[in-house]
Amino acid sequence: MDKIARIDMGAAGGPKVTVGPVGEYAGLGGRALTSLLIAKEVHPLCHALGAENKLVIAPGMLSGTTGSMTGRLSVGCKSPLTGTIKESNAGGQAAQVLARLGYAAVVLEGKPEGDDLYKIFINKDGIQVIVDNSLKLLDNYPVIEKLRGEYGDKVAYMSIGTAGERKLLAASIACTDPELRPTRHCGRGGVGAVMGAKRVKAIILDDAGMKMRPPVDPDKYRDANRKFVEGLRKHPVTGEGLPAYGTNVLTNVLNEAGGYPAYNFKGGQFPGSEKLSGEAQAQLEIDRGGTATHGCHRGCVIQCSGIYNDKDGHYLTKQPEYETVWSHGGHCGIDDLDTVAMLDFMDDNIGVDTIEMGVAIGVAMDAGIIEFGDREGAIRLMKEVQQGTPLGRVLGSGAAVTGKVFGVERVPVVKDQALPAYDPRAIQGIGVTYATTTQGADHTAGYAIATNILKVGGDVDPLKTEGQIELSRNLQIATAAIDSTGMCLFIAFAIMDQPETFQALLDMLGSFHGITMTGDDVVALGKKVLSAERDFNTRAGFTRHHDRLPRFFYNEPIAPHNQTFMMKDEELDEVFNW
Amino acid sequence: MVTEKRGEYLLRLSLTIDPAEIGVFYPFLMQGFQVVVRVGCSIRELLCDQFGIDNEYVLGRITTVFQNGKAIDDLDAAIVRDGTRLTLSAAMPGLVGATMRRGGFYAAMRGSITHKETGESGLSGGGTITMKLFNLLLPELGPDFLKVGIGVAAADLADFFAKRPSTFWRGCRQLLLDGKPVEPERLMGGEAFFGEGTVWLSVTCWKEDKEPARN
Repeated sequence: MDKIARIDMGAAGGPKVTVGPVGEYAGLGGRALTSLLIAKEVHPLCHALGAENKLVIAPGMLSGTTGSMTGRLSVGCKSPLTGTIKESNAGGQAAQVLARLGYAAVVLEGKPEGDDLYKIFINKDGIQVIVDNSLKLLDNYPVIEKLRGEYGDKVAYMSIGTAGERKLLAASIACTDPELRPTRHCGRGGVGAVMGAKRVKAIILDDAGMKMRPPVDPDKYRDANRKFVEGLRKHPVTGEGLPAYGTNVLTNVLNEAGGYPAYNFKGGQFPGSEKLSGEAQAQLEIDRGGTATHGCHRGCVIQCSGIYNDKDGHYLTKQPEYETVWSHGGHCGIDDLDTVAMLDFMDDNIGVDTIEMGVAIGVAMDAGIIEFGDREGAIRLMKEVQQGTPLGRVLGSGAAVTGKVFGVERVPVVKDQALPAYDPRAIQGIGVTYATTTQGADHTAGYAIATNILKVGGDVDPLKTEGQIELSRNLQIATAAIDSTGMCLFIAFAIMDQPETFQALLDMLGSFHGITMTGDDVVALGKKVLSAERDFNTRAGFTRHHDRLPRFFYNEPIAPHNQTFMMKDEELDEVFNW
Repeated sequence: MVTEKRGEYLLRLSLTIDPAEIGVFYPFLMQGFQVVVRVGCSIRELLCDQFGIDNEYVLGRITTVFQNGKAIDDLDAAIVRDGTRLTLSAAMPGLVGATMRRGGFYAAMRGSITHKETGESGLSGGGTITMKLFNLLLPELGPDFLKVGIGVAAADLADFFAKRPSTFWRGCRQLLLDGKPVEPERLMGGEAFFGEGTVWLSVTCWKEDKEPARN
């Protein structure tokens, strides 16, 4: 990964490819690379869908190696949804293949004149940018099916659906999984709209003739990876819970805790939650001949995904994740897994973020467009998005736009990005992250639960409530670092509880690059990334007043605990004071 | 463990089933079932002394515990009272999973919904509590709870039996209602429970009993 490809889509005479050394971004990967490049090279006041914005696609620091769990791909840009800097990442095969091709990043720049649609083919011989108008207004599944006929099954694909072409603010970028299904999405922040604005429909990554990236110290790397995998397999979350039930195992627990936002955040419990639970979902998948255990990319040992078949035993979609089941389920008053699975398929196919889309539909329900619990109505609204009708374009532009268009007061967004599936009135600490993250409301911005072992900012007494600001700060620092490695965030459970597994991770990073890596180095990386992101947002016009939750979280107590969000503004302002 | 409500008659249904079918009863364990216990004790005493769950298993496996919807950090301090709703779960993924963990590093993040014991033990003696089991604890603890017996709503049970396919009934070796054989049709139609509020259900897998003959 010693080169960066820049593709000027707006160059005179047609798109122009320039491949150069990685330069000042050497040694970086994933979120570190996307955010530092965007912060340096993109004007913070540019229009996110204009020629000045850039779309950076970067594999992680360990992607393309024999290391396990290294397959996350980061995509960065200025977000058309939030107006902030954005990093959105996904699993699938793309990161591994792009890294083996030697690219630290592919940067889409400029914006073409005219109406042509492009595909980009990258292999060992170089990069081709090809006009292919036959792909126009195809959704992700048919796009991949068509491209497979041309490029075969031994490549990885990235693509946008019709939502991306229409530049809807909830549009995602799909990455294919090992079975070449477009099920893994850089979902948040409208990154698919930026790709659509640059008129790029698909990227085909072919690593034929390329080898795994070699570590500087192969023996040490192999040994560290073995210990790392052992640690993941023996931990009850990564070795048992996630493989058996997936992330949706959280439904029952969140509902029991009163932190499961139901009916557009009007309640903290949903009566039909057990029908939506991961336990019920896993059993249904197995009964129908699917599977509750499946990896999103080769080299994954956690296998938190699955295959969801319809009633006739035919593939419908990948196992919907907890946040998806919530957004299309309890948030909308829907207690039927088949409906949720169909909506998940439509999200993937049209190419929209499942959280943003589900929350937008819930807001529309609050506006009376359809009733809460209306299964067919929810599917009908998704078809409007697919068809690009005026109503569909409103919904596909996310919860904030939907709320404004229909005059809804209760719109659960921060910096115009929809809140995920955890109510901050019940779990106050996650509200701190929602409010203050550089990305807009995002549970994964403070997800790397390894701060205790990283000793980020020192030890915090876990039983003192005043530690929540420190906890959120430390979580955001740790997450920014892990997002840069290309590692799946779920490794955090094992490295939090098992010091030897954390050491194995450090040894993997160190032996690969021929350096000695410490926890302090990881923390420094996380702070560097966050500082650059905060700086970009400040220059884009964001102030501390944007680091707040919507007022209804402060004014409307949520049952069953009848809590409001109680963190003071001045406390929130302390999150980034390190 | 006490196996029936004190001073209250409960219809008792005992099933001996194909072990492959035990999982179909897990939704009852997730939704909540009643057990009659000695109250006024700590949660740890309930789990270890009354239910007979190994202390190491409790500490290492049951990492997430809720009492009346509030997260528990100290199993020895939290008191079980009549009417308590007690929920047990294995370790959960995600930041929120870590946050809900008993005594975990991120407990502060859910401080507003953390159980705070008043110190008053309440009445001791018999009482009825509602329990829920989630995720990995279902296959690990569920069969024992089912074997001893759980209280479930008659209406839910009637609905459950009405939806059972013929393969389920073919796997049943023994169906006893208040100790007397009962035909599947009476369970499927719901008339066996008509007018009952709660039914005491116990389920045994026939392999454990060397496949006893049906009725």
